[in-house]
Amino acid sequence: MSSSLPQFLSRLFILLLACSPMIAGAEDIVLGASVQLTGSLANTGRYYRDAYQFAIDKINADGGVKIAGRPHKLVLKLYDNQSDVNLSVRQYTELLTEDKANLLLGPFASNFVLADSAVSEKYKVSMVQGGGASDQIYARNFHDIFGTLAPASDYFGSTISMLKSLKPAPRSVALLYADDAFDVSVADGTRALLKQAGLEIVLDERYSTNASDFSSLLTRIKSQHADVVLVAGHETEILNFIRQAKSLAVAPKLYSFTVGVQSADFRKALGKDANYAFGMTPWLPSAALKDRWFGDALQFARDYRARFGYDPDYHAASAAADVEALVQAMEAAGSLDRQKVRDALARIKFQSLYGTVAFNAHGQIEMPQMVIQVQDDALVEIYGPNGLVREPKYPMPEWDKR
Amino acid sequence: MDLLAQIVVNGILQGGLYAVMALGMALVWGVLNIVNLAHGAFIMIGGYASWCLYTYAHLDPFLGLPLTAAFMFVLGYVLQRGLLNLIIRAPMFNTLLITFGLQVVLTYLAQLVFSADFRTINPAYAGNSVAAGPVVLPVVRLAVFGVAIVLTVAMWQFLLHTRLGRAIRATAQNLVAARLYGVEPRHLYAMTYGLGIALAGAAGTLHGTVSQIHPYIGAALTAKSFAIAIIGGLDNPLGVLLGGLFLGILESLTAAYIGQTYTDVASFGILVLVLIVRPTGLLGRAR
Repeated sequence: MSSSLPQFLSRLFILLLACSPMIAGAEDIVLGASVQLTGSLANTGRYYRDAYQFAIDKINADGGVKIAGRPHKLVLKLYDNQSDVNLSVRQYTELLTEDKANLLLGPFASNFVLADSAVSEKYKVSMVQGGGASDQIYARNFHDIFGTLAPASDYFGSTISMLKSLKPAPRSVALLYADDAFDVSVADGTRALLKQAGLEIVLDERYSTNASDFSSLLTRIKSQHADVVLVAGHETEILNFIRQAKSLAVAPKLYSFTVGVQSADFRKALGKDANYAFGMTPWLPSAALKDRWFGDALQFARDYRARFGYDPDYHAASAAADVEALVQAMEAAGSLDRQKVRDALARIKFQSLYGTVAFNAHGQIEMPQMVIQVQDDALVEIYGPNGLVREPKYPMPEWDKR
Repeated sequence: MDLLAQIVVNGILQGGLYAVMALGMALVWGVLNIVNLAHGAFIMIGGYASWCLYTYAHLDPFLGLPLTAAFMFVLGYVLQRGLLNLIIRAPMFNTLLITFGLQVVLTYLAQLVFSADFRTINPAYAGNSVAAGPVVLPVVRLAVFGVAIVLTVAMWQFLLHTRLGRAIRATAQNLVAARLYGVEPRHLYAMTYGLGIALAGAAGTLHGTVSQIHPYIGAALTAKSFAIAIIGGLDNPLGVLLGGLFLGILESLTAAYIGQTYTDVASFGILVLVLIVRPTGLLGRAR
């Protein structure tokens, strides 16, 4: 047995080679991406892997990209960055130097985009990304980064305008945020919006990413009698936050979270305790959002669920829109020339399952956030650009009176 | 004043959980001289085991805890017997490497089997609390603390008074002498590692009831257990309990009065301080 081991290994190697994705033909267009498939961000990273592949398959099935009358197939070259920023920078470099990717799709999370966009800028290859919302990404006046997530500084904007219409009117706010690029941007923007709205900030605390014990912060929220608690963080922290709020009987009139509430997996993990939690999303699956390839957003959500076995949230919709934006830009440019595609991206405007995709001078989309709340185990839209859509459940009852 | 009382109580309750997390690590380290970098991953596996029992067999996590611990004991025993015993006499670096490798393998296996979704063990009473004057006591954390005390005292008595416990201590103190008295080290090592992993499994159950389980919680838990084991000392389970409580209260006070981002600075700062001032831990023997 041991003598045949090298033979066996070499056969295995050949087999693996044969199984690896086909190298793209001359006609094919390679879209490169590095995404968190493992590691602490894998839970959200999968939206990007699945939505990229889904959109590419759909577009290919429809005949691919039509450039100057000739159809081209799209090929996805995807790496797992293991939730490691340094690895993801190396992978984007490899995508451009070794794999000769024509254009780039983004990773998840602002700190990744911040680092990876330096690679796309250096090689002058456009990256369209739906994973980073931090204002820092666009503050550097880069030419080749385009984003389909609304600005982080405005994440709580719609929530704060909703606060004014609530009775009894909330007066004091506690603001908690994790210490990463996205959440710091959210906090900076929110602080200014709260001041404008005349609300008192009784607690303004930064916490370390992946913190698991919030009991001290919750105790201070309680002792400061904050009416509203706004948290910008990651799903894992917010899950701990809500569970510990319950066990310490901390019930502000309202609490809202940048992430978590949108995700079915998150609501399932919390069960009934997810009720009353607010959040925001730029996207909900609606038949009103028409799309060239998917029909509409509702159809997209249904097909996505059928294929991957879980519901898409705005990360997935944003990722699918990124692929579409690249395709629209290539078709508009009528060329694969990187500079022409870049200029077409800057001018682009089209309807998609995600909404109207168009980029401002910095390359970021401008999109309002809808306020959402978990009511009776379901996610409902509460407040949109045109005001109240549905009565919020407010104030939140004490935990023992639910 | 009420705030301070609540903050200290929070710290004590958190400290109980910390102690259970570190008990197994300290035992394995003290006796086998293995710094088990996979300890956090075993806590994670224990959490998943209890989550399965809770979700599929509808078994209360505190009732399922002995089952999880038994399962983890077997896993630990087999791993030590079949894998770690091979390198037990190798330099420290090799044991670090192999346990680090185990950590990676267990983490990715967990993602393959359970996906990266968050799991919580969330029985109906999980969020209940009792009020003691101005202080709120979360029921589950109180139960976790109770389990921590029971496990620590049981470990302490076990090491002091049972035949196996004495053999474990004897081996830790002097392997040659222990062998002369008829201790079979391979079996004893496997028993010890099994016990350590069983304690990690218990910690995973408790962790799942107050926090959450996903494949990547391991590394941070290993780091924390490591710090507590050093602060508390490797000789005595009571030292580990003390170390856990100390760290819990310290972190709680730091988060409340200095800033949440400084908790790790405080806890690992204390670790360095302990290494300088009392290198054998708070209750460690003077050497």
